[in-house]
Amino acid sequence: MKVTTHPTADTLTLVLDGELDASSAVVLDAELNKPEIVNYKKVLIDCQRLSYISSAGLGVFISHLQRLQDSDVKLVFFNMQEKVFNVFEILGLDSLMNIVPTQAEAQAA
Amino acid sequence: MPKVRPTAWFLVAAGVCWLVLLLSTLSQGQPIPGLPANWPRWVLLLAQGGFAAAVFMYARFQPEPLAGQNFVGLLRRLFLRGLGLTLGLGALVGVEKLTSQHTLSLPGNTTTAVVYTIALALFMVFLAQTLYTWRSLVNFRGGAKLRNEWTVFEVLLGLTLLLQLFTWHIPDGVRLGSGIALGLFGIYLSGHQRWIAYLTLAEKWQAILLQLGVLGFTVFFLLYLRGAQTDPVLLVPATQSSFLAFNSFFATFYAMAGLLITLFNLPVAKVFEERRAEIMSLQQLSQIIQRGQSVPEIYKILFSSAIQTGKADAAALLPPPASESASGLLAPLQHQLTATDFAALSSVLVPPPGSSYLPEIVESDLSRSPRFGTLLPNYSSIVVMPLHNKVHNYGTLVLLSHEPYNFDSEVLSILHAFTAQTVLSFENLQLAQEALNNQRTQDELRIAALVQERLIPRQLPTDDWFEVATYAQAAKEVGGDFYDFLHLPGQKLAVLIGDVSGKGVTAAFHTAQMKGIFHALMQANPLAKKERDRYPDPHRFMVQANEALTHCLERSSFITAAFYLIDYQAGGFSFARAGHCHTLYYHSIQEEVSYFRTEGLGLGIIRNAGYEKHVKTQFWDYNPGDVMVIYTDGIVEARDGEGNEYGEERLRQMLEQCFYQTAAEINEEIRHDVQEFSRGQPLHDDQTLLVIKFKAAQPHA
Repeated sequence: MKVTTHPTADTLTLVLDGELDASSAVVLDAELNKPEIVNYKKVLIDCQRLSYISSAGLGVFISHLQRLQDSDVKLVFFNMQEKVFNVFEILGLDSLMNIVPTQAEAQAA
Repeated sequence: MPKVRPTAWFLVAAGVCWLVLLLSTLSQGQPIPGLPANWPRWVLLLAQGGFAAAVFMYARFQPEPLAGQNFVGLLRRLFLRGLGLTLGLGALVGVEKLTSQHTLSLPGNTTTAVVYTIALALFMVFLAQTLYTWRSLVNFRGGAKLRNEWTVFEVLLGLTLLLQLFTWHIPDGVRLGSGIALGLFGIYLSGHQRWIAYLTLAEKWQAILLQLGVLGFTVFFLLYLRGAQTDPVLLVPATQSSFLAFNSFFATFYAMAGLLITLFNLPVAKVFEERRAEIMSLQQLSQIIQRGQSVPEIYKILFSSAIQTGKADAAALLPPPASESASGLLAPLQHQLTATDFAALSSVLVPPPGSSYLPEIVESDLSRSPRFGTLLPNYSSIVVMPLHNKVHNYGTLVLLSHEPYNFDSEVLSILHAFTAQTVLSFENLQLAQEALNNQRTQDELRIAALVQERLIPRQLPTDDWFEVATYAQAAKEVGGDFYDFLHLPGQKLAVLIGDVSGKGVTAAFHTAQMKGIFHALMQANPLAKKERDRYPDPHRFMVQANEALTHCLERSSFITAAFYLIDYQAGGFSFARAGHCHTLYYHSIQEEVSYFRTEGLGLGIIRNAGYEKHVKTQFWDYNPGDVMVIYTDGIVEARDGEGNEYGEERLRQMLEQCFYQTAAEINEEIRHDVQEFSRGQPLHDDQTLLVIKFKAAQPHA
């Protein structure tokens, strides 16, 4: 699992590459835990190369969801593979989180 | 009848042989009434050979006389026996001398013949004792090869007994050659004197004296026999001369060789002894650990061994800084050190900046040392040796001596060995402690697994309107999956299944919590006005469960669950899904298998009243023959060798094939198929599978 960050003025894009399991969830958690994250307006998660997400991986997003909302930072997922989207959907997260098909839509969100 | 030891028969045989030997010797001399004269020579030789063989075999099969490394004890035992036998011979000779003054010393004198026969027997006993004492010494620390060589040597010695019996002609050259060969074999065996290296100085002196004694006895016997055989008074019969000669030669040569080696060893014995003491101290150190002794004890042994080995006049063992929790040494150990000197040492011996321990210091002339200057006027040399590994500091050893240049390189290398061994010992102790803790954790996990197993419903609900079959398998000792059933009044059945995110003990703990919440919420509400309000509906159940979990679930954890309330009277069920896997369903009327694709958010994700909007109660009317398959994601996410997931589709197809079977059979079919699919792969998530099949009600009997 590789996490790369692309910060711009008001948007932080995280590109996830590989399987997000219990061990890689720690890396992502550290990234989302950085205090400067609340300075952005949007945090975009590029899921194009995310091939698997475990409950620990979902837990990272869930635990930061409230904090980001409280600080008025939008969390948007895009380019999600169907298999991964299924996992979000079964857990009911699709109704809670902003998941859009393309990067352009994510930028516009 | 008491059991006779087999070796006792050798004594009986020896006795019989000796009697025959005596009689045949007597028959050679003056006629004795009732005894046939001049028995043939072979009878005598046979009796001698038999006696020798019996005595040697008896000695051979005695228990090993060498106890541990008590070589002096072994030699003393041989010496005392030899002394007894020689004194016996001396007494006999004395008696013979006395009697010969009163009678005529004619050839064929009976007394002389008896004394000679007894003396010959004593000598053979002595040789047998000596040979088998040497056997213990030769084979000490020898291998199987040496033991085999020894056996060959014994056999060859035995053959010489036969040699005299037969009159066949052996060419002198062969006789001489084989004699020399056997002699060389004996000399070769005499080279095995490893035991001498294990003697202390005092023991070496004792060994030398005892071996001299043994040599003396041998010479005494040989002199007597030689004299007796040339004594005209004795009509001397032939003897087993080769056997005696070879045995005497070996007995003497081994004793001589041992004696000389011991003698040459004496000058270096002191050095050996010192080395031995050092090795013993090291051994002591390692053994202390094996016995699981305490840290203070290891310090004490190191301290006393170091003082002894380094011949230190004063010493101290300084504890590591208080921050070092691994140490068990709280107060410094001191030896012959004044308070002033100790204070001086403590003031100088502080770790250099940036390091947690002292460097090693060796000063051989303190009066000229810039570091110590005049701080320690009473001492001339010092060694400071830190005890540490990469992680821990275990303290500092300080040795002082009045002598300049007291701590030479050899002493230092031994001290290094001591300190290294000590550090190793501490590491071992720590490892042992960690292993113990690990074991404890394992045991506790096992107990946790047992406790969790008890949380799984033992008895499945039974009634004539449905069948239930279950399967559950945890990936680790304890799991995060759970399920439960509860019969409610009026032919109702509540079913709960769920999965706590994460694995291990934390997850297992929350499964217990969910079971508690389930049973607490499913209590009948006595204040309910309407019958259907008596128990919470699935939506209310989920909302209340979510609230109950709010304060006890870590922020990154969540729980997926599905809850079903089946009502036989109404022929239907209501259910709610909180982020759990979709329920698979076989409709018997439509003959169709499909998933209930409903919405619903997992528990613990939204921790406020807002959750209410994210979960719904659904209703469904069932028909007899309908099948409900409820499971956790461990089933559909089971992977094959290529990383493919089992998936919802394959599960659906499975039910299409086996819906007509009983619940137990369907459960078994699916489980088997999942296992086939992921054969050879480790179970990476808990798996739970419930199959409920609705039946047409049987009329009550």
